[in-house]
Amino acid sequence: MADFILPKNSRLRPGKLHKAAEGATNIRKFHVYRYNPDDKENPQVDTFEVDMDQCGSMVLDALIHIKSKMDGTLTFRRSCREGICGSCSMNVDGTNTLACTKAIDDIKGDVKVFPLPHMPVIKDLVPDLSAAYAQYASIKPWIQAEMPAEGARERLQSPEERKKLDGLWECILCFSCSTSCPSYWWNGDRYLGPAVLLQAHRFIQDSRDEKTEERLQDLEDPFKLYRCHTIMNCTNTCPKGLNPAASIGDIKKKIVAQKV
Amino acid sequence: MWRGIDPIMAFNGVPMKSQQRPLSPHLQIYKPQMTSVLSIGGRIMGAGLFVGSFMLVWWIAALAIGPHAYEIFMTFIHSWMGIILCTGWAFAFYYYVANGIRHLFWDLGYGYDLKTVYKTGWTVVIFSLIATAATFYHFFLKDLL
Repeated sequence: MADFILPKNSRLRPGKLHKAAEGATNIRKFHVYRYNPDDKENPQVDTFEVDMDQCGSMVLDALIHIKSKMDGTLTFRRSCREGICGSCSMNVDGTNTLACTKAIDDIKGDVKVFPLPHMPVIKDLVPDLSAAYAQYASIKPWIQAEMPAEGARERLQSPEERKKLDGLWECILCFSCSTSCPSYWWNGDRYLGPAVLLQAHRFIQDSRDEKTEERLQDLEDPFKLYRCHTIMNCTNTCPKGLNPAASIGDIKKKIVAQKV
Repeated sequence: MWRGIDPIMAFNGVPMKSQQRPLSPHLQIYKPQMTSVLSIGGRIMGAGLFVGSFMLVWWIAALAIGPHAYEIFMTFIHSWMGIILCTGWAFAFYYYVANGIRHLFWDLGYGYDLKTVYKTGWTVVIFSLIATAATFYHFFLKDLL
């Protein structure tokens, strides 16, 4: 059931102000969500005054600056710093994105950084994605084919067949879209969410996969698929410019077509 | 043997519940935008139309009962309160119909492109405003003059 208010242990309390070093002239304020599982206190929002003359241009650069120069306990995931690993997905300036590809200059006023919305928080900006990963595993994200490949070589596709995977294979599973979806917030235990449904679509569209029918049947469920109400927050927020809502729409259409 | 991820036991084998992890903020921090506002708008207009449908019942009942009952109904409709409510319901109606058509196109597989989503979204809003203004002009403007 939809719970619009945060549970008691999740409500924010005022945090600390970390001042910039004296003499800094080019300061941006970063309000960052903090939660430490060890101190048994509610989460708080700390404010960091970042000296932009000492810091790179992306939000991730600022977080790294904070961690190395201001507060070493700040915890967040990051790896590639170029938008291909999907580790640093978080809520920046009110929408989900990758901290590494979000330019600080594109944000007006103070920069607000929160973990991906409506997720259990392990520490600071690190959400627990294990339920989302389990949902991903549930759609069998691999090619299922019983027929042996012709002539003991790779399974070939025509350029047209390959083209059907464009806009799908690029997904890096950062879960920005799923955690932007109000329907996933309220029904995330049973609704698969846009990220996982886009992945399901990726294998439904693959000419090499032989289980298309089974995949569609498995998704035909009031919760797994049909909690999508075409809100479109997913497409609006995808940092890779993909369109999970269109994927979900196509799955719905294919399920109908299968029955006619 | 790999048995897949057990979301309950995934973190250090300690059940999630006993760790009492906080839930990250959602509605509290997510920026309202065209997509979500129009969506929740549809729900709100739908709820408004449900309440408004009782008005229709009153109208039909008044018609059936006779001239005096109808007189009372018409007096209410053309009172300040009636005008505000009817204009509101007119907006809800136009919005709900236009947004419904938008959803029908989505269900047919059209209009998922983000630019189109914004265009059709604004179309719904502007159409509802103009249609409501026209309705108001036609039925209620003379009450206020």
